Amino acid sequence: MGSKTNPQRKTGEARVIALPADFRLADLADVKAGLLQALEAPSVELDGAGVERVDTAALQLLLAFRRAASAQGLPASWVGVSETMRDAAGVLGLTQALELPATMPA
Amino acid sequence: MSKAGLAQFQQVFIEESLEGLDTMESSLLALDNGGDGELVHTIFRAAHSIKGGAATFGFPEMSSFTHEAESLLDEVRSGKREIDGAIIELLLRTVDCLRNMFARAQAGEPLNDAVAEGLRNELAAMMGRGAPAAGVQARRNVDQADAWTVRFRPHAGMLAGGNEPLRLIRELAGIGELTVTPELDRIPEFAKLDPTECHLGWTIELKGPAKRADIAGVFDWVEDECDLAIEAKHIVAEVAAPVAAPASPAAPVANVADAGAARAQREASAESSSVRVSIDKIDGLINLVGELVITQSMLDTFREGDIDAARMAMLEHGLAQLARHTRELQESVMGIRMLPIASVFNRFPRMVRDISQKLGKQVKLELVGEQTELDKTVLEKIGDPMVHLVRNAIDHGLEMPDKRRASGKGDTGTLTLSASHRGGNIVVEVSDDGAGLNREAIVAKALQRGLIASGEGMSDEAVADLIFQPGFSTAAVTTDLSGRGVGMDVVRRNVSDLGGTVTIRSTQGKGSVFTITLPLTLAIIDGLTAAVGEERYIVPLVSIVESVQLKADAVRTVAGGGELFRFRNEYLPVIRLHDVFGCETSIRSIDEGLMVVVEGEGARVGLFVDGLIGQQQAVVKSLEANYRRVQGISGATILADGSVALIVDIAGLVRLQSRRKAA
Repeated sequence: MGSKTNPQRKTGEARVIALPADFRLADLADVKAGLLQALEAPSVELDGAGVERVDTAALQLLLAFRRAASAQGLPASWVGVSETMRDAAGVLGLTQALELPATMPA
Repeated sequence: MSKAGLAQFQQVFIEESLEGLDTMESSLLALDNGGDGELVHTIFRAAHSIKGGAATFGFPEMSSFTHEAESLLDEVRSGKREIDGAIIELLLRTVDCLRNMFARAQAGEPLNDAVAEGLRNELAAMMGRGAPAAGVQARRNVDQADAWTVRFRPHAGMLAGGNEPLRLIRELAGIGELTVTPELDRIPEFAKLDPTECHLGWTIELKGPAKRADIAGVFDWVEDECDLAIEAKHIVAEVAAPVAAPASPAAPVANVADAGAARAQREASAESSSVRVSIDKIDGLINLVGELVITQSMLDTFREGDIDAARMAMLEHGLAQLARHTRELQESVMGIRMLPIASVFNRFPRMVRDISQKLGKQVKLELVGEQTELDKTVLEKIGDPMVHLVRNAIDHGLEMPDKRRASGKGDTGTLTLSASHRGGNIVVEVSDDGAGLNREAIVAKALQRGLIASGEGMSDEAVADLIFQPGFSTAAVTTDLSGRGVGMDVVRRNVSDLGGTVTIRSTQGKGSVFTITLPLTLAIIDGLTAAVGEERYIVPLVSIVESVQLKADAVRTVAGGGELFRFRNEYLPVIRLHDVFGCETSIRSIDEGLMVVVEGEGARVGLFVDGLIGQQQAVVKSLEANYRRVQGISGATILADGSVALIVDIAGLVRLQSRRKAA
């Protein structure tokens, strides 16, 4: 990574970020590195379908990421959201801020 | 952390908190007597530590309970509220309730009970009532409402500490319906974001009737890790109305009994297995051990070379030094177990206040010699007898204010507790300037009970001594404090179990003085070594009246097989030690052996032994711990030649003797 331009940006392909099953504080450094890279892609798709455990720190990270993406005009969309994630976002009142889709195809 | 590890810290926390509660109590009492404002800070700090510790060590109920008291104290501390009798009373009861909670925590029982719940409400009501800026303040401090606004901003480090807002908000959702609005404006730029830090905040609207304490309880664990504001939106009408001072005057009075129960529980657990030692004492010990090592290495030089007269003198000097250092070391080590009696005295100001309030008497308590040190074991056991004596003194001794005025005394009675060292003993006195013992009433009662044939010619001491008889009480009315007739005999037995005595000096109309004399330590006794056959017995010196050699015909055998001998105009029973303990001895005839007259349990008996060998200090070793309990033996010790000698328990022997007589 570093200063090298990401090849995927040139090809115009969307970068899919699959969020880990254990999406919590201890593993966020790796996720953040992946997301940082994704900021250089032409578009990003977030896949949270496999998330089994999630915490506030993880959702905060996603919030910050989506902000950064929209500041750059980078389209970021959801391709999957697990029940766990949807529930956690709901409890914290973040569903809207995260722009979670109302319902996801199963 | 492992469970065992946490339990260990819990124990320390509990011990420290109990000390904190003692501090709170004594400071509250001092405030009640017009102490200065600094005391409020002391009380606040103690409450704050208990609250924090309770949350950390897994007692959330205790933490949220203490929180209520702390909030109240905070208002007093910051000058928003004047401290008054009602607040002090309430806080004293809070202290009692917390003591109860700690007792239950130690017993592994649930912490909350109706008393705690009631107190919590009273505390909250106190907070809600008549705060200065009536409008806003009352609204904020109200305890119960239909809707709440909770503003919750975790500090950056909260998530890393393992506290999860998700869990907290879910828990809140259990109390009422939530509308959660996040605050996102503090989230930093993505590249700069440390994912482990929290930059979020929430404003949570809670609908549905809820108590403030329940909401605050959710955040107990994270209180120090977030900014939290809980405000009532709609106030439940009846609770919001200013709540009158403590429900009824009966409430605090009824609580005296509770306080007693709390204290009883505390006393039950008071025999702790650890002791705190001042650094000075430890340094002294280290110093002495250093001296001992120097002496030892000096003596070591005598291993080699011949010993001439000059070296002999040095050797003797060295041995003398060794002896001195050993003795000093022994004294210092014993000193570790010595604690100031203040820890016992300190429980009395509260007790005296409660009892005197209940009885409507005015009592001034004076404590003298609180720094007098005595053995920890003795210290722990002297509490109960003193409680009895103090209760008696207030209940029976001191008179009501009008009666005091009538007899030309001040309205306020004085109760003095004093402690001092006298020789190898500690003397504790409980004295009052009340009515003194009523000689006629005691004599009448004793006659009625058949304890004496007539009061004629009895000395005042002999009359006073009657009140130590089991079941003896002259109180006309049995109160729940004293007068049930269980008391003085228990006091005497408890004290004599510790190797001490209780005496009374009383002047009618002027007051009474109860004097408890106790050995400084139970670990070392002075005794006479007696020989019985091949065995050696130690007879405690304090029990010995005299030893006499008798002629064979001085002892009479009475019906039933008992033996009596005449000693200074009274007949005393003979206890043959070789019989009692089953020793082989050739000395059976009275004129060959020695009669040691001893006193115990208020009676005198003659112990028949082969002979006396000498006086010595005996380091008491528990027989119970090393073997089992033996009737008539209080312990064992090791003699200079390495053999074991048993220590005779005089009181036990006397009891044994009277049981035989009865059988």
